[in-house]
Amino acid sequence: MTQRVSSQLEIFQQDAAAPDPWAAFRQVERITVELTQRYKYSLGKVSRFFLELERGRFFATTCGGCGKTFAPPRPLCPRCLQPTKWRQLPGTGMVETWSTLHFSPGSNADVRALTPPYVFAYVLLDGADTLFPHLLKAPPAQARRGLPVQVAYSEGAVSHPIHLMYFLPRDPKEEP
Amino acid sequence: MRAAPVIAAVGATPVKAEHAASSSRDLMAEAVLACLADAGLADLSAVEQGITSYESDHFNLQMTLGAVLHDTIGMIPKPNMRIEGGGATGALALRAAWAQIQSGLCASALVYGVEKNGRGLSSRSANQLFALSADAEWEMMIGGTYTGFYAAMMRAHMAAYGTRETDFAHVAVRNRHNASYNPLAQKPMQITIDDVLGSMPIAEPYKLLDCSLLSDGAACILLATEDWARAHCPRFRQRPPVYFAATGCGSDTMRLGDRYPHISNFRAKREAARQAYAMAGIREPRREIDVAELYDSYSGVEIQAVEDLGFVAEGQGGAAVSAGAFDLSGDLPVNTSGGLMGRGAPVGATGILQAIEIAQQLWGEADPRRQVAGARRGLTDTHAGIASISVVNIFERGD
Ligand SMILES: [Zn+2]
Repeated sequence: MTQRVSSQLEIFQQDAAAPDPWAAFRQVERITVELTQRYKYSLGKVSRFFLELERGRFFATTCGGCGKTFAPPRPLCPRCLQPTKWRQLPGTGMVETWSTLHFSPGSNADVRALTPPYVFAYVLLDGADTLFPHLLKAPPAQARRGLPVQVAYSEGAVSHPIHLMYFLPRDPKEEP
Repeated sequence: MRAAPVIAAVGATPVKAEHAASSSRDLMAEAVLACLADAGLADLSAVEQGITSYESDHFNLQMTLGAVLHDTIGMIPKPNMRIEGGGATGALALRAAWAQIQSGLCASALVYGVEKNGRGLSSRSANQLFALSADAEWEMMIGGTYTGFYAAMMRAHMAAYGTRETDFAHVAVRNRHNASYNPLAQKPMQITIDDVLGSMPIAEPYKLLDCSLLSDGAACILLATEDWARAHCPRFRQRPPVYFAATGCGSDTMRLGDRYPHISNFRAKREAARQAYAMAGIREPRREIDVAELYDSYSGVEIQAVEDLGFVAEGQGGAAVSAGAFDLSGDLPVNTSGGLMGRGAPVGATGILQAIEIAQQLWGEADPRRQVAGARRGLTDTHAGIASISVVNIFERGD
């Protein structure tokens, strides 16, 4: 953790015309504080999802109790409270809903590299029972509910392994 | 069950984009002093418990701020707990105090909340921190934003029910207008539907004027048994009693996609309302509730809320909002304070500010231009995230 401090002295006037009980406390110093942290963050039981992305494969998990398939994967079925099983999906699906974002949250280097506007889509993958959120790399005007898409795999280094994949529009007549 | 707790007194600072001259503890002290003055109490010696309401250690740059504030306002050595539930923090803190009083653990509890979300951090840093309140393992790292999650939900609502951008623009116009009658409000504005539609796109279909505010502010409510309030608070005896009659709390998955196929509305809110209505004996909420403060983090969220709270059937919120049903002149005025869009949203104080607005409405003490005539029962709706936690609290005038 680094901490650097600089300061700025300001006099703030009270807004109201009434007598100011804090008159002796109106001289205010403002400082700038900077905190920087690095974390070793374990991806834990969902790690295999990201390791499979490196091999160009998309994995979900399925509950042996209720049969529900989770993408993003859950190691524990929240309904049955039993461990799920890994299952490869073809990576094809359809956009269920989306938003065109005009500002990036800057969460990591991959996100900062995005040029807004970009499309953030929730995709119903074939074989899954939940919607998978990711970037749809397509012109915003092309985004629509029901648009066929497929998982694409990134070339090169990424700052977070979730960016090993993204969605692209798919010609439904072509085999994935 | 014991008789419900009463609101013995309230206090708040103005809500601003930035209280640059004040720290979190300064703001909290000012709200507590305002609450004491409202109670007619000289000090807090008679008050038994303190519940601190704040969301973020990061924004306030202080962990265990609950203990710091408890010390600041002279509550030591009495019991203190800090409640955190994202955007629902303030409403959840009130619910915790409700439970402590109902259980007999205490007869009086000060619920006090603060946040400095305004301009202490650059908007980029603020966005990064708010993104941590989403599912930090998935959506945040992908490049999603809260505006984006809410926008994707709203698009699903538009697809399912034909809700129009002009419907939610109506909320953005009305709540900012209502704020002009609230002296504590951060950003009253007189704008038109066209102003909203023409404002800068943020996450389509949401534009800048569809979004609520980042705010600094503090608020405080003294909850007590009616006997305690009568014994200790001179001002309480001069007002009609307002009871904290019922509370409900629901929850939902963190990620919107895990809610498929029902992604247009808030399941947690329906559950919270169901519990609160059962406790209050409410069967027809649209008729039996007179005034409500709804969690308008984005304009369309209010449309989803009026549906999930049962004011209208699911899918009919847009038309009802555009018809003016929830305006000051409507049959169930909502966000008379200006809501998160006009009054502002210092997170830890937001749910408390909502309850203060309802108390003032039920006491008949709101500015006459926003006072709902004869209001006897009011509701607050507050949620975390995209309603991963949802709290509905109901207040009733008892005379
Ligand atoms: Zn299961």
